[in-house]
Amino acid sequence: MRKRGLKFYMSIYRKILIQDLKSKMSYRADFIISTIGMIMTNLSGFVTFMILFHNFPTINGWDYYHMLFLYGFSLVALTPVQCFFDNNWNLRFMVQSGDFIKYCFRPVNVFFYFMSEVFDVKGLGQLAFGIGTIVYAWIKIGIPVTPLVILKLIVFLFTASLFMIALMNFAAATCFWIKNSGYVMVIMFRFKDFAKYPSSIFEGIFKVIFTFLIPIAFIAYYPSLVILSPDNVPVLSWISPLFGLIFFYLSYKFWMLGVRKYDFTGS
Amino acid sequence: MEEAVVMKNVCKDFKVLNRHEGLKGSIKDLFSRDYKTVSAVKDVTMTVNRGEIIGYLGPNGAGKSTTIKIMTGVLEPTSGEILVNGKVPYKNRTENCENIGVVFGQRSQLWWSLPLIESFKLLKDLYMVPEKEYDDMIALYRSLVDIEPILHKPVRQMSLGQRTLSDILAAFLHNPAIVFLDEPTIGLDVSMKSKIRELILGLNKEKNTTVILTTHDMGDVDALCKRIVIIDKGMKIYDNDIDHLKNYFGSYRTLKLKLADDTWEEMLIDEKTTDVMDVIMEKQKEKKIKDVKILEISTEEVIRKIYEGGTK
Ligand SMILES: Nc1ncnc2c1ncn2[C@@H]1O[C@H](COP(=O)(O)OP(=O)(O)O)[C@@H](O)[C@H]1O
Ligand SMILES: [Mg+2]
Repeated sequence: MRKRGLKFYMSIYRKILIQDLKSKMSYRADFIISTIGMIMTNLSGFVTFMILFHNFPTINGWDYYHMLFLYGFSLVALTPVQCFFDNNWNLRFMVQSGDFIKYCFRPVNVFFYFMSEVFDVKGLGQLAFGIGTIVYAWIKIGIPVTPLVILKLIVFLFTASLFMIALMNFAAATCFWIKNSGYVMVIMFRFKDFAKYPSSIFEGIFKVIFTFLIPIAFIAYYPSLVILSPDNVPVLSWISPLFGLIFFYLSYKFWMLGVRKYDFTGS
Repeated sequence: MEEAVVMKNVCKDFKVLNRHEGLKGSIKDLFSRDYKTVSAVKDVTMTVNRGEIIGYLGPNGAGKSTTIKIMTGVLEPTSGEILVNGKVPYKNRTENCENIGVVFGQRSQLWWSLPLIESFKLLKDLYMVPEKEYDDMIALYRSLVDIEPILHKPVRQMSLGQRTLSDILAAFLHNPAIVFLDEPTIGLDVSMKSKIRELILGLNKEKNTTVILTTHDMGDVDALCKRIVIIDKGMKIYDNDIDHLKNYFGSYRTLKLKLADDTWEEMLIDEKTTDVMDVIMEKQKEKKIKDVKILEISTEEVIRKIYEGGTK
C-alpha cells in the first residue's frame, strides 16, 4: 500500500480547506452575514464579561485584569476546537441517519476525513478577540515580554486547546453507544464556560471533578498560571502539556473505537 | 488472482438493544443486556470473479446491504471467512478501500458544496492517482457520457439523477478492482437509468472492473448482469447464470390479453401444467379479447417466482 504520512494529510487538509473557503465566499451574502454575526457574538460575550467583573474586588489574588487574561486565554484556546473539529456536532445525526458510513469508504484515517469536512470560519473572529484581550490584559498586568514567556504562552495555549478538543471528542463519540448523546455534547460544551473563571470555583470536590474527571480546569486555569503567577506554579500546570497529549490521544482512540464497534444502521 | 471476492460460510448477527426513552433510558441502555439477535446474513458462500458484473438480488431486508458492508470492510462478520482482492477487508480497511469503489443508494459521498470537478481532484489526491491515469479516466468518461453539464456544478445543486451519475463516476475514478453499487438506480427516470447502465457497462468493458450490483429493477439486471445471486432472509437461495434460471422456468409463458377497454391483462402460465389455449378460451367466455400475446418469461417474473417459491 502507498504510504500516507503527515505530509500527505497536511496537503490534503490544505486542499480541502481552500476549496471549502472558495465555495463559502462564492455565497457572498451568506459570508458577510455570518462574519457580522461572529463579531456581534464576540462583542456581546466581551461586554457581558466587562459588566460582570469590572467592579469586582480581587478574589484570591485575582484582580480584574487577571480575569481578563484568563478570558482571552480561553477564547484563543477554544479556537482550534471550533475551527477544525466543529463536525463533531454533526456526528450524532450522521451516525443515526446512516450517512456516517461514507467516511469509511476512503483509504484514509476516518477521524481525519470526518473532521476535514468542516472548517468553521467563525472561530477566526474569536481568535482575533482572544488575542486582543490577552495583549490588553498583558500590558495592564505588566508581565515582562521575553521569548521564554511567549514560548510558554504558545505551548500552554496549545495544551489548553488539546484538552478542549479531547473533551468534545469524548462527548461526541458517545453517540456510537447511546441514542440521546446530544445531552452529553451540550453539557460538555456548557462546562467549557467555567474555563473562563479562576480558582475560586475550583474548590473541594469541584476541584477534583474539574481536574481529573472533566478536566476543564486545564483549558485555561492551570495553563494560564504559568504566565500569571510564575513564582508559584502548581505541578499540575507544568505537567499539563503531557496530560493534554495523553487526554487527546485517549479521546481519539475512544472515537475510533466507537467507529469500530458501531453497527452502521440504515440501508 | 482471478477471484475478486471469496466468501466462505459468512454470517452476520446484529445485537439489537430494546431501547429505553429519555436521558435516564439511554444511561440504562449503556448497561442493559436486554437485546435480541438479528441474523442478517446466514452462512453465505460465494465467489465473484474478476471482471464480472453480478446482480446481488433479494427482497427488502434480505441482507444485501449488510453483505456489501462486510465486503467493504466496514463490518466484521460474526463468523466465516472473506477475502476481497486477496485480503481480509475488515482487518485492512484502508488498504481495501484503495481497491474498491462504493455507491450507496442515494447517499452522496461527494463534497456537497464543491463543483464535481473539484471533488474529482480531491479524490485524485486522496487515492494518489497519477496525473496521467486521472486524465485518461476523465477522457474515458467523456467518451461514455456527457459530463460537461455536471462537471462545474456543485453537488448540492444537482438533480438526483445527476448526483447518482456523479457518485458512480467518482467510484470508478481511481480505477478500483471492484465497484459496489447498492441500489444505484432507485428513484431515477428511464433515460437516466439507461445512461447509467451504459456507463457501467462501458467502464466494466474498458477497465475490466468487477461490479457487484444490488437492485430491485430487473431492467438493470437484464442490461448488465450475466450472473445473479439471490438471497432471502440472509440465506443464499440462487447463484447461477440468468439464462440457466430462464431455462429452469422455460416452460413458463407470459400471456398478455388486450381487453375491450384497451388495457392489457397479464398472467404467468406453466405450459407443463396448463394449456395456454385453454386459458384464452376460458377468458373469452367472460370478456371480449381484442389481442393476444404470448411471451417468454421475463426476468422480473422469474425473480418474483423465486422470492415466492424458493428454488435452487
Ligand atoms: N446495524 C444494524 N443493526 C440491526 N439490524 C440491522 C442492521 N443492519 C441491518 N439490520 C437488519 O438486517 C437485515 C438485513 O438488512 P439489509 O442488509 O439492510 O437488507 P437489504 O439491503 O437486503 O434490504 C434486516 O432485517 C435489517 O433490519
Ligand atoms: Mg439495502
